[in-house]
Amino acid sequence: MDSPGIVIGFYMMAGLALGSGTLVFLARNLLHALAFLVISFLSMAGLFLTLSADFIAMAQILIYAGSISVLMVFAVMLTPLASRDNGNTIYVLPGLLAAGGIATFVGFLALDTSWSGPATDFTTTIDLIGNLLLGKYVLAFEIASVLLLFALIGAIMLVQTSSSDQEEGEADD
Amino acid sequence: MSENTRSATPMSRQIAEHHSLLDRTLALPRPILVMLSVLLVGFAMSQIAIGYLVISGQLDGKWYDIRDLGNAMISLDGVIQNSEMDSRIASTLAYLIPTLAGATGIVSIVGGWLLIGPWVERRLIAKFQIRQGPNRTGPFGLLQTLADALKLMQKEIIIPSGADRFLYFVPPVAVFIPAILGWAPIPWSPKMSYADLDVGVLFVIAISSLGVLAVFMAGWASNNHYSLLGAMRTIAMMISYEIPISVSLLAVVLLTGSTKLSEIVLWQSEHGVWLVMLIPFAALAFLFASTAEINRTPNDIGEAESEIVAGFYTEYSGMKAGLFMGVELANAILVGALMSTFFLGGYTMFGLETWIPGYLILATKIGLVYFLFVWIRATLPRFRLDQLMGFAWKFLIPVSIALMFLTAIESSILVRWDVPNFLSLGLIGLVNITSAAGLTFVWLRVLFRDTDLSTPPAPILTREMGGLQAAKVLRG
Amino acid sequence: MTTSTEPYILNIGPQHPSTHGVFRLRVVMDGEKIKDLDMIVGYLHRSMEKLAEERTFTQNIPFTDRADYLAAMTGNLGLAIAVERLAGVEVPERAEYLRVIFSELQRIASHAMANGTLISDAGAWQTPLLYMFREREKILDLFEMTCGARLTTNYMRIGGVAFDPPVEFWPALQELVDELPDRIDEYHELLVSNEVFLARTRGVGVISPEDAINASLTGPALRGSGIPWDLRKADPYSVYDRMEFDVVVGRSGDVYDRFMVRMSELYQSVKIIKQAMSQIPAGAHKTDIPLALRPDEGEIYSRIESPRGEIGFFLVSDGGPSPYRFHIRAPSLINLSLLHELGRDAALSDAIVTLGSLDIVVGEIDR
Repeated sequence: MDSPGIVIGFYMMAGLALGSGTLVFLARNLLHALAFLVISFLSMAGLFLTLSADFIAMAQILIYAGSISVLMVFAVMLTPLASRDNGNTIYVLPGLLAAGGIATFVGFLALDTSWSGPATDFTTTIDLIGNLLLGKYVLAFEIASVLLLFALIGAIMLVQTSSSDQEEGEADD
Repeated sequence: MSENTRSATPMSRQIAEHHSLLDRTLALPRPILVMLSVLLVGFAMSQIAIGYLVISGQLDGKWYDIRDLGNAMISLDGVIQNSEMDSRIASTLAYLIPTLAGATGIVSIVGGWLLIGPWVERRLIAKFQIRQGPNRTGPFGLLQTLADALKLMQKEIIIPSGADRFLYFVPPVAVFIPAILGWAPIPWSPKMSYADLDVGVLFVIAISSLGVLAVFMAGWASNNHYSLLGAMRTIAMMISYEIPISVSLLAVVLLTGSTKLSEIVLWQSEHGVWLVMLIPFAALAFLFASTAEINRTPNDIGEAESEIVAGFYTEYSGMKAGLFMGVELANAILVGALMSTFFLGGYTMFGLETWIPGYLILATKIGLVYFLFVWIRATLPRFRLDQLMGFAWKFLIPVSIALMFLTAIESSILVRWDVPNFLSLGLIGLVNITSAAGLTFVWLRVLFRDTDLSTPPAPILTREMGGLQAAKVLRG
Repeated sequence: MTTSTEPYILNIGPQHPSTHGVFRLRVVMDGEKIKDLDMIVGYLHRSMEKLAEERTFTQNIPFTDRADYLAAMTGNLGLAIAVERLAGVEVPERAEYLRVIFSELQRIASHAMANGTLISDAGAWQTPLLYMFREREKILDLFEMTCGARLTTNYMRIGGVAFDPPVEFWPALQELVDELPDRIDEYHELLVSNEVFLARTRGVGVISPEDAINASLTGPALRGSGIPWDLRKADPYSVYDRMEFDVVVGRSGDVYDRFMVRMSELYQSVKIIKQAMSQIPAGAHKTDIPLALRPDEGEIYSRIESPRGEIGFFLVSDGGPSPYRFHIRAPSLINLSLLHELGRDAALSDAIVTLGSLDIVVGEIDR
């Protein structure tokens, strides 16, 4: 974490993450907010990379920026109120209160934890994660895949109409 | 052709007078022919000299070993470490110079291809269509791409009213990000890959999923029903075909035991086999799904020119539209490079890479895969969207997953079985080919059990005219 | 649980790569399916019929070139035959055979174009179109050799044809006729079992025989639905009654059948040309008629088989040099009226392919 490249990278990514996160809720147009959200996902992936967590970074890009944002885009696009102003809503004050509460909570946690280096020396993370997923945490892994299966079946049942079978544009990753 | 049967039709005359390339080359003026033969002899002699150098091993590891440009970077690294610079500046320089050189290299490859790619594609398609392609602008039409680019640049940028300003300007640029980033993990030579990530395969899949967002932004921001329709079609297709790509690459990772692209290439070279011979269905699924990812025919329903004008980039004028058309080409060679790296052995060629630089071998393979793409484009009509989606979800995904299970079993056998390579790999290849063919047949039978697949009967010839009654009589 | 969707209106045309001319299609769509179809024509209206009332009959022949611009010879022929029947003009034998040869050549060229554009509408990047254009180019070269123009030929005259073809014409025609059947076999092979093409065209745009007759369909579209009706045999004109040829009839009335009918008619046209070439006598190529022909008062409706269907000419003469009323019964317009029904509940791509199979030329729709 000492080399100047990583320090510069960290500050760039952190600045990008904070900036785009702020712009998400400051943007008046819902789709602009989505675009900024995608940028914040990508900067999170960059932050993971500065920690040498390459697998998590790639998974972040693949799942968040590649699939979940597409899902949100479809959801926003297919609702009739997509082009309304995002700024005027009664949820501003409760949102600020909730966000402030969570921020202080997480802040206390972050300042109170003793951050040390990684538990083991590693060269590649993907080996370790693979071994753990199929070794120690195999139950959680299998439950997660069953959950995904339920979601998939549920999605198919939701869109099945009696006559046609067109709407296949679902993101299910 | 003698005079009195000489065809008077101008076109037949033109066809008869057209000479082959060899005839035209031999008909060049004498000085040019002499110069060409001198160049040829010089080239042969230089090859012999290089061959001598390679055999005597004088070239290995030197910084001027052009077979592997990574050697130059490694010696540069050594020079920097041994010099008396501050360690932080030294490490920054040691990082920065190869990075910049590699980035320049990749951008010049993509940019250079965008300069000459359209010409190559148009002349190649023209050859398939028995015509010539661009041959007027510059010698052999080589300046055609430049002329098109200049024309597009000087066009008026018409922004549709009601278009979302921010989301309208981003897509032409954003769509290039996956096209350039995807080149990072590709190994060009043993020590020459820009960012040989440990999770290279995941990187490739992740980057290709970023292209979807740019397409959507382009379609939405244009405030136009056509564009939205095109964007929806394109996105549905792209996310459906990400799954066969991932499953095929999963089969590759299973067999080679690593997600690092350079190790995949090395596995193929060590075992003396190309993965396309071992898991042909995965290779074909990867190829077909990639044409869907990059929106090329037969899967270019998103920009179906004869139906919805230009799909998601209808409202883009000038160079913005030009960028969209260009990125299709850039993506095509990226997919060619990925296909070559994963399935065709990358920069290795059963030992030839000690003679010929690996990057030239890889470039040749990219060219071959690109030729395949152009061939498919010139020949096949495009599929309809529901046919495309049905093919992905009902056929490609189930069969790829089933064959991937088979590959998983085979790879675990391969690790534990202690027989010479050609026996085990040959057996695996055979089993894979037969099971892929068998499963395809059976599954297609099941899927299409109630459609008529036979060649339709020829139309009826008759001489009796009539109306409805005659029609009934004819049909029997 | 149902999701509600809102239909939206898509405007295809008038400038559009696939509508075979300036022709507007206003489509109300629900997802990918069409709910309603509206055809708006008139973008190419040049008031031919009104202008024709100011000109003599011979001066009206170029109008027919430009009405159906892809089948100029048959358009010319239709008008020439109509006026000859109205005025009672005799046509020499040689001229009749020349008319038949050129009509059939025009039929080959027009069908090649129609089929080629159909396939490129289905997305095949103009490759089959350009293959078929090889033959069409040779035919257009023959036209140019004879009458000076490739497209708007203005070749038929009242009482014969304009020029006798030059000496180089006959060997060139013989060469073309010899190699055409092989070429057509080539196209046949490329397309008949191409699965992508079959998937795009089988079962698409089916017209039942009853619907076809109720909508006054004519030409290959009618024959594709199974009805054996070809004016060259049903109501013979010129010397078609001396020619031996078959009429091609489809089986189920889908796009594939109409395509195959046109493809097989190419063989028949080659047959007719060969017979005409062997039977053609020497002689005059037209009869002399006065510069401003004044037919007797009366009216006539005369029809011939153009590559698109029955092209009819309704002429009313008041004894003067110009027609009192000049009307072209355009087959494309009548055939097009069926698109309204065929488009309902079809996918947009299927509607485009069906439109291509009906083979319309906007020039004769709008005149």
